[in-house]
Amino acid sequence: MKQSHSNTHPLFISLSVLLFLSLTGCWSSHEIEEQSLGIGLAFDKAKQSSIEKKLNEQGGAYSKRNLITTTYQFITPQVASSTTKQSGPQQKSYVNVSETGDSMHQMVRELSLRSEQPVTAHHMKVVVIGENLARSYKLEQLLDQNLRESELRPSCLVLISKGRASNTLETKKAGEIPAFRLAGIVENAYRTTRILPPMSHIKVESKIKSGSSFLMQKVLSADGQVKFAGAAVIDGKTHKMTGTLNEEELEGVTWITGKGKGGVVKSFDKETGQPIVYEIETMKSSIIPHVKRDSISFDVNIESVGRLSENWVVSAGTFKNEFLKNAEKSSEEEVKRLVGNVLEKMQKEYKADVAGFGNRLRIEHPKVWNKVKKDWDQRFSEAPINYDVKLTINDYGTTGGSKK
Amino acid sequence: MILSPKDKITTPQAAVIVINFILGTGLLTLPRSSTEKVQTPDAWISVILGGVITITAGLIMVKLSQQFSEKTFYQYINDIVGKWVGGLLSLVVICYFLTTSSFQIRAMAEVIRYLLLEGTPTWAIIMIFMWVGLYLIIGGINPIARLFEIILPLTVILFLVVTFMSFKIFEIDNLRPVLGEGIVPVLKGVKTTALAFSGPEIMLLLIPFMNSPKKAGKALLVGVSIPLIFYVITVVMVIGALSIDGVVLRTWPTLDLIRSFEVAGLIFERFESLLLVVWIMQIFATFTITYFAAALGLAQLSKKSIHPFMFGLLPVLYIIAMVPKNMNDLFKVGDFVGNVAMFLFGLLPLLLLIISRIKGGKKHETIT
Repeated sequence: MKQSHSNTHPLFISLSVLLFLSLTGCWSSHEIEEQSLGIGLAFDKAKQSSIEKKLNEQGGAYSKRNLITTTYQFITPQVASSTTKQSGPQQKSYVNVSETGDSMHQMVRELSLRSEQPVTAHHMKVVVIGENLARSYKLEQLLDQNLRESELRPSCLVLISKGRASNTLETKKAGEIPAFRLAGIVENAYRTTRILPPMSHIKVESKIKSGSSFLMQKVLSADGQVKFAGAAVIDGKTHKMTGTLNEEELEGVTWITGKGKGGVVKSFDKETGQPIVYEIETMKSSIIPHVKRDSISFDVNIESVGRLSENWVVSAGTFKNEFLKNAEKSSEEEVKRLVGNVLEKMQKEYKADVAGFGNRLRIEHPKVWNKVKKDWDQRFSEAPINYDVKLTINDYGTTGGSKK
Repeated sequence: MILSPKDKITTPQAAVIVINFILGTGLLTLPRSSTEKVQTPDAWISVILGGVITITAGLIMVKLSQQFSEKTFYQYINDIVGKWVGGLLSLVVICYFLTTSSFQIRAMAEVIRYLLLEGTPTWAIIMIFMWVGLYLIIGGINPIARLFEIILPLTVILFLVVTFMSFKIFEIDNLRPVLGEGIVPVLKGVKTTALAFSGPEIMLLLIPFMNSPKKAGKALLVGVSIPLIFYVITVVMVIGALSIDGVVLRTWPTLDLIRSFEVAGLIFERFESLLLVVWIMQIFATFTITYFAAALGLAQLSKKSIHPFMFGLLPVLYIIAMVPKNMNDLFKVGDFVGNVAMFLFGLLPLLLLIISRIKGGKKHETIT
């Protein structure tokens, strides 16, 4: 044992000396103060910004096709700190920079010719794709670089914008950061049925690979304001955007999938024509596929428990069950309308299953699914779908009565 | 090499060594490699079957080694099949351990270079790793076992915390239907998943180091069951979050699972670094134990001291690690190592056990 000690001693010393060298710091360190953090990204059809044009005129171009304009949104430490120190008039806390070209990665690298701060994508929150672009390019092509690189996290959200995507990354409110605003709205899904569950890069990739059509949240922009409105239909075969569902249709899809976490249903009382609002507490939906030989049909059972949250029918007393039953009825009718409406749209207009009917068939009848999955969207558009809605009003808040 | 009394390990330590050997690269790649073969969400059943097969193979190895409880595989194989064949087989096993060892460090270096230290050259990452490994194994089996005992609880806690946090993006539908296409796809994946459990072969060498070689079977059982649980959790959570279509596209699916969610409100929002810590510790464990096994083999084959071999193998390991030119080559090496392991530790021990039983039976008769 003694001998082995004398053997290890010199080795131990040399090792510790060598380890000292590695303690001096990170091999490839980058100071955080010198980074500009990319937080938002927008892809649009090519339209060079005025700065780019001026730069190009002076010869600042390389061989490329001008196909796509990417807009990067950064928070640079200088900008962020200057807003906190001197709350000057309308100081922006972000910087948007646009680049035009044909390769996503080359465009990012081109930015390092324009700014001394290297770009990092570790904190990228949201990627917005312009509708025009989504209609003409495959999603996996547009997102390939994002999915491949190590910096951008697969949890980063993807949205589709109605107009130019770069407009959604603008704001006029001082201190507001547009990318954070977009990412924050997604969190409001517990307030409304008109927001899709978050579509992150990893979910988009899985959907693309699965070959089924799917929905992506759409966002509108005007004058530095944004609004989530409806959803874009992405075709399962071409992976391009083929159409749009409006807000009500998206609501219908949420009822079919049962994935909503909250929201309201407004219906009108039959007798008085006054609005009654039902607020969702829980929502459950089961899609049951039926296979008989060659024909596939579906039953959709939607159940929900909620409360009466607003009532304009002055004559009614919510202490009476009779009225509550009527309110349930009219809300049910409204949900049925929403569901029927979107089913019609999916089956007749887009011929695309974006509400997960195929998924249920895959789970319940895997063998049948293997046969039909190739032209599922076509088969889906011919499948008869029955739906039933059952709403239960549990309570009616703190006001119960009516003047009688 | 004479074993000093300090070089003995307890039964739990033996189990810990097996656990740490098994958990390695597979933790990050198993969800993809198994789903690729199975093509249905039933990959986790394959993992269980793979584990059961490994336990069976492991028990055969233990039975074989228990017949010669004072000797390692390299020593007793000569008694069974003679000096020449035995020597050759020992060399093959040594090569296997060397390749496994190099494969692990290279995989580790690739992930670190890609995700953590972008600018650091691969050689710098690998060398520091190898030096520390060398420092550990110079002390013999006992320090290795004790270090592994420290690593394991950390692994278990961090790993479970991180994986269960991904519950946020877990969708049960991605795991359904169970056995929708029957048992056939599941069986297709068994080979792949069984290979992810390579590690019980260390029992061939470990038994003479054990305080009570009779309990080796128990150690093996525990040693394979814990990784089995880990692997099932990993596969279930990854497929549940990414779906089978998403899993097959990712190079390191488990890492992407952790990268696919953020938890607000805790001190950290992102947990991939924790997972990487766990994973690197496990790679280190696999690397050191295989390195030790290879050096031990050479020492016992040549009947010389083990230390020169430990130093001598260092450059060899480095060269083998740097051979694969890209990721695909690297994964091919992994597959190759796995296939070799299947013959070497799946079929060979059974054969040896039968031969030794026949031979041993005769000897016993003459004695009594």
